[in-house]
Amino acid sequence: MRGLTLLALIMGTGGLAAAQTAPSVSEKDFLTDMPVVLSVSRLPQRLDETPGAVTVIDREMIRLSGARDVADLMRLVPGFQTSMAFEAVGPQVSYHGAFGGLSNRIQVLVDGRTVYSPYFIGSVEGGLQTVALEDIERIEVLRGSNSAAYGARAFLGVINIVTRDSADTVGAQATVRAGENGIRDAGARVGWGTESSTFRLSLDRRADDGLQGSNGHNQVDRVNFRADLRPDAADEIQLRAGTLGITAGKGFTGNIDDPTRDVRYGSGYAQIDWRRVLAADQDLALAYSHTEESYQDKFPYSLAQIGINDSIDVDISGRSSSDNLSLQHTWRQSPVLQLVWGGEFRRERVTSKPVYNTDAALVTDFTRLFGNLEWRPASDLVLNAGVMAEHSSVDGSSLSPRLMLNWHVAEGHTLRVGGSRADRPPSTYEKSADVRFYWNDHLLEITTQSSGRVTREDVLSTEMGYLGVFPSLGLNLDVRVFKERINGFIRQWNATQPKDYFNQDDFSVQGLEYEMKWQPWSGAQFRLAQAYIHSSAADQDNGAVSGLPLAAPRQATTIAFVQRLPGALDFTLLHQDNGTMTLQGAGRLDQVAFTRTDLRLAKALRFDRLRGEIALVVQNLGSPYPDYAPSFAFQRRAFVTLQIEN
Amino acid sequence: MHLRQLIFGIWLGLMAATPALAATVVVVSSERSAAYTEAADALVAELERNGLPRQEVLQMTGLQWTAAGQLNPKLIVAVGAQATELLARAERRTPVLATLLPRASFERILRETGRKASSQLSALYLDQPLSRQLELLRLALPGARRVGVLWGPESIGQAPLLRALALARGLNLVEADVGPEEALFPSLKRVLDGTDLLLAVADSQVYSSASIQNILLASFRARVPMLAFSPAYARAGALLALYVTPAQIGLQAATMAATVLRGNALPEAPVYSKDFEVAVNEHVARSLGLRVDAESLRHSLRREGSP
Repeated sequence: MRGLTLLALIMGTGGLAAAQTAPSVSEKDFLTDMPVVLSVSRLPQRLDETPGAVTVIDREMIRLSGARDVADLMRLVPGFQTSMAFEAVGPQVSYHGAFGGLSNRIQVLVDGRTVYSPYFIGSVEGGLQTVALEDIERIEVLRGSNSAAYGARAFLGVINIVTRDSADTVGAQATVRAGENGIRDAGARVGWGTESSTFRLSLDRRADDGLQGSNGHNQVDRVNFRADLRPDAADEIQLRAGTLGITAGKGFTGNIDDPTRDVRYGSGYAQIDWRRVLAADQDLALAYSHTEESYQDKFPYSLAQIGINDSIDVDISGRSSSDNLSLQHTWRQSPVLQLVWGGEFRRERVTSKPVYNTDAALVTDFTRLFGNLEWRPASDLVLNAGVMAEHSSVDGSSLSPRLMLNWHVAEGHTLRVGGSRADRPPSTYEKSADVRFYWNDHLLEITTQSSGRVTREDVLSTEMGYLGVFPSLGLNLDVRVFKERINGFIRQWNATQPKDYFNQDDFSVQGLEYEMKWQPWSGAQFRLAQAYIHSSAADQDNGAVSGLPLAAPRQATTIAFVQRLPGALDFTLLHQDNGTMTLQGAGRLDQVAFTRTDLRLAKALRFDRLRGEIALVVQNLGSPYPDYAPSFAFQRRAFVTLQIEN
Repeated sequence: MHLRQLIFGIWLGLMAATPALAATVVVVSSERSAAYTEAADALVAELERNGLPRQEVLQMTGLQWTAAGQLNPKLIVAVGAQATELLARAERRTPVLATLLPRASFERILRETGRKASSQLSALYLDQPLSRQLELLRLALPGARRVGVLWGPESIGQAPLLRALALARGLNLVEADVGPEEALFPSLKRVLDGTDLLLAVADSQVYSSASIQNILLASFRARVPMLAFSPAYARAGALLALYVTPAQIGLQAATMAATVLRGNALPEAPVYSKDFEVAVNEHVARSLGLRVDAESLRHSLRREGSP
């Protein structure tokens, strides 16, 4: 471009011609009509008008938290349980109950694409690792059942990860991080484009030695590409593609049932989104995505203990893929009535000979029709009525309705009351697992065999909420009182051999959670998240694999304090106090309480056209605390991050 | 279209050459599209209401004026920049009031024609004074302190005035230049970083139907509302727009014309419109959690008086 301009100057014509043809400002600039840009679907609902509680963690908070992982950030969200272990693919998060080693009762979306894995019993751990933290614009956590809008897997909540628009990341960025516990992260990003199309390519690695006591040497490698194309004012096309690879050390030295080995998880995706502005009050959005996953976990198992001088492979490897096609129409019929409705088709294929005893893919088709009506019967009332009708080819049809009324009692004060119902059909594994071990064509054992009797579990949620804004105090408050009645909770039962899945428990989870954001003085911010959760699940063993009664702590608090200091310094103190709960990967008797304190000190850097930051983070200043299992501990880790961008 | 206009113009020019068409006021519009007609019609109607017979006012396009020959009116009102430029070059005996054009256009025409603003060539601007825009900002977003501004080659001339006005009001300006043929992103990124509002100053190199999508989407992502200069921008997604309608321009031009007809001179210094409108995109306001009401803002802003 510059070369061309130079050439034009040398030729002595181009520059002049350009100057002559350049339009000059005139009344046309004031009188010409403009295309509608912020059309109806681009304007999100306000937090005090959404049909549920929402916690937003923005880019600034992500940076200030010192977190290296989305899962770690969920500690800021009231009602969430997290683990930094890589025992179940990756770090785990759950809402109102860590019911086991895999979290399958919340939905995770990355730019609208579900990253919920259909492999195993369903899980979000791999999906949470999809993108680098540096590429995230914000994370919206919808606390509470949200199946009316997001389908069955949003049974207890939704984590909605929104990556940065590629128009906002034009230029280059490089990040390196090193520190204790083998922390060695690195990332590079490049963004380019023109006014009508912008692109971003990011590569990053996140690696450390994992939890104390684990065979941890975890490495996450990611490549993500995003293109934002704006061919004209009415259309917007986004293309995304990427790969993720996780290698995690698992097992224990000398344990023949669980020897040390590397477990590999890989995924790849491609996604296209097309949004068309039909009119000022109408948008259409069409989306298609394809996702592939692979899981590799295999080790030799000696048969010496049954008197055979040989070994067999213990293998739970396999593959899955999914295709998703959706069409959504947003229509603002009038200032008091807005409708979002649409349909979605999703096909999932899970293939694993060792897990399902068949070479064939187990296919599940989901067909969904959904709608949400936002009605303002009066200026201070917003009623959201939503419903999703979902048909699963394996488990039939279900209806997930939701009704929520938001009442703006006074300016800055909103009360919210409502309820919803949702079903989660059993996953492919819960429905069809058939894990067999053969030696020379002799069947040695069937460890898990799903009878298929298991059917959908459901949740009836009711809640009351209050949102308060106190501008004079610089304070925002969000309170949620909830009751979640879960019926037919699906879990594995050990009492029978082989293991099977049943709709075992009916119980309720109730309590109160709130978050408060307070800016007491200039450059400071307090963020307090607290949850009191009580589960009515019976405190009984009966051979259950994991313990329901204390799947969530009775009380959990996270407080973050951020202060901007002179000299372009940022200081963060993050303290978490988690009451007694059952660890994700342990039995009901392994219950622990813990506290964790993190510190971060960062200095903004500026050299000529480059900007950057150097940060020192110490995670868990105190003694190691048990994480995931009693034998694993999250120990202190200090690290330094250097980030430069132009 | 052009040919038909030409033929029509010649025909009208021949008609105008007859003494029967001698007029007191001639209104010369750049073109016949809606906004120009609205301004000219409001002007003529108001002059008529003030007692000037309709046949004393002649309306024509610039093309027709060129063909018309000697008219000898007491005042020529130009509607639009093109008509103004034509008259600034060709007409030196009759006072010309330029209307429905922004200040930057008028000043460019003065530069290019080597003329000066005077009672022979004065203007009623279409753009709103910066002081009024800042006053609207204060009324609508009292907490706003940091104001982002994107300057292009045609608007940069207003920078010194805006800086002085901002300083006087305790506002911090976050400015960035967009050079000709330069990508918008880096500058846009700078002015949206930590600012409370994006003040749009008209400049076809910066704000156009081609760039507005990027600018509004980026500012909305940054949760920075825009104060723009035309209602079309408010419809597109700007939170606020401060503007004058062509009819309001026509009305004020009529008042100024009446002064000339009473034997007074045009103001030597061009003026801004006394009247104006405020547009609010209520959907954007709601989504940003802001409470702004167009009518009450307009009312308060009028009470503050014209600058």
